[in-house]
Amino acid sequence: MTVVVEATDLVRHFGDVVAVDGVDLQVEEGEVFGFLGPNGAGKSTVVRMLTTLLHPTSGSARVGGCDVISQAGEVRRMIGVALQDAAIDPLMTGSELMRLQAVLHGIPRSVIKTRGPELLERVGLTAAVDRRVGTYSGGMRRRLDLALSLVHEPPILFLDEPTTGLDPTSRQALWEEVRRLNDELGTTVFLTTQYLEEADQLAGRIAIIDAGKLVREGTPTVLKSTVGAPTLRVEVGPEHVETTTTVMTGFGAERPSREGRVAIGLDEGAARVADVVRALDAAGVTVIHLELDAPSLDDVFAHATGRRLEGSGDEQ
Amino acid sequence: MTGSGLAGVMTAGSQTFELARRSLVGERRQLLSVMPGLIFPLLLAAVYTKQFQRVLDMPGFPEVDSFLDFILPACIVQAVSFGATAAGSELALDIENGFLDRLLASPVARGPILLGRLAGAAIVASIKTLVILAVFLVFGAEVAGGLAAMLVMVLVAALLVLVIGGLAQVMAVRTGSQEAVGATFPLIFVSIFMSSAFFPTTLMNGWFRVVAEYNPISWVINPVRRLVIVEWSTADALQALGIPAVLALGTISAAALALQQRLTTP
Repeated sequence: MTVVVEATDLVRHFGDVVAVDGVDLQVEEGEVFGFLGPNGAGKSTVVRMLTTLLHPTSGSARVGGCDVISQAGEVRRMIGVALQDAAIDPLMTGSELMRLQAVLHGIPRSVIKTRGPELLERVGLTAAVDRRVGTYSGGMRRRLDLALSLVHEPPILFLDEPTTGLDPTSRQALWEEVRRLNDELGTTVFLTTQYLEEADQLAGRIAIIDAGKLVREGTPTVLKSTVGAPTLRVEVGPEHVETTTTVMTGFGAERPSREGRVAIGLDEGAARVADVVRALDAAGVTVIHLELDAPSLDDVFAHATGRRLEGSGDEQ
Repeated sequence: MTGSGLAGVMTAGSQTFELARRSLVGERRQLLSVMPGLIFPLLLAAVYTKQFQRVLDMPGFPEVDSFLDFILPACIVQAVSFGATAAGSELALDIENGFLDRLLASPVARGPILLGRLAGAAIVASIKTLVILAVFLVFGAEVAGGLAAMLVMVLVAALLVLVIGGLAQVMAVRTGSQEAVGATFPLIFVSIFMSSAFFPTTLMNGWFRVVAEYNPISWVINPVRRLVIVEWSTADALQALGIPAVLALGTISAAALALQQRLTTP
């Protein structure tokens, strides 16, 4: 596979503040890459450097094979960018903005006449194209922003917190569209988010950034597996708790649990669940309830930083 | 697209055109915000003309039939000053809400981003000048230099917008704040009063006279006024157009430099 986004020891200072502190990353063609971190971790600063909006203090980055500083013009032609807060002129209508964006990218008028309406239809805004953007809801703005960023059919798309502040339905709709772009057109997507679920849902590979440094990188599954074994929880009648504990600790170390339940870290993962059940059955234990909890990305984040991400942001 | 030579210029041209159009669409959709800049100078001109009619008899005051003729250039400069900082404050708004990033992340050249806004504001100023000229003519003002002089006034108005707008854009790029750009307006407002706009410098005294004589606004107002109250003169027309043209080149270059610095500071 070809590497289409590559950062090497990327550093950015703002005065005395080190916003990005030596980030190395590689995104391959056709990937959805999730860049996860809490507010102020440095996600947007990295995106701004990759999209030629900000010069790095040191280090280098290439996008689509071109250097973001010395070949900024070439990079801009290859990337679609939808930044935080969907900056859209509220006095303009959707179709006016679409035409402006097309002219900025040097797309001929004849092409934009068909492509503009197609893109707006794709994001479900056909009915609103002649309304001023000031009257759009947050979700509509984000969808328009996405459509605008696609006007020149970029092979690489940067989405900076595309669903922050959106309601669950709008969020789902945007996720669908991102998946479709990636599946149908093979668009490489570089996505920043502070939502674990978003990264988990969309991204094939994830990098976690905290205080300007990358702390973990990998597929969600691999990252979760590095945190440790999944937790197996079994609920039994009070008379069976002792027997259950004896049987289950043969499969992994005991973990804290509520009364009437026994929990262990299942060392070899889900494959051993059946063995545990058979062993309990053989010992004459009646199981009331059983659950296996895989580690979440939040566990990954906590493991890497010692803090929880969930609830630290503005998520309700 | 980068396209070398002519193609590049054409692309930059259509990008500037499209961005100027955006700025005009914005003005048209909030027309109420343009009106004070037209009404206030006209009202001031009406009041002054009524109040200062007797000033015309003062020794040393230029020969005019009506104070209206004398104040016409001042009225235009004042109307222009109202809208001129808009090119800067709207750029600051684009910086504040991130629209500038949308422009910068596209392959658009940096020139059109600044020029588009300025061109839009210059067109608005030209239209305002035409309205003011029409109102003055209806109320009996006479332009000795004729149609050519009026054309010069429209062009001077457009050029002055580029001067003030360029300055406002420097502020916008340096501060990224609408408030900071807005703060330049009183400065311009006061410098109009500290010029020959409302009174001939020959009738002024002391430091005020020195300030007014060295005020570039006087250098523009004086030749325009001669075009209105004396007669057509190519030398006056060239002075009236040349000074703002040179100043505009300066302020726009400064704005371009400021934008370049903002983008490349590591």
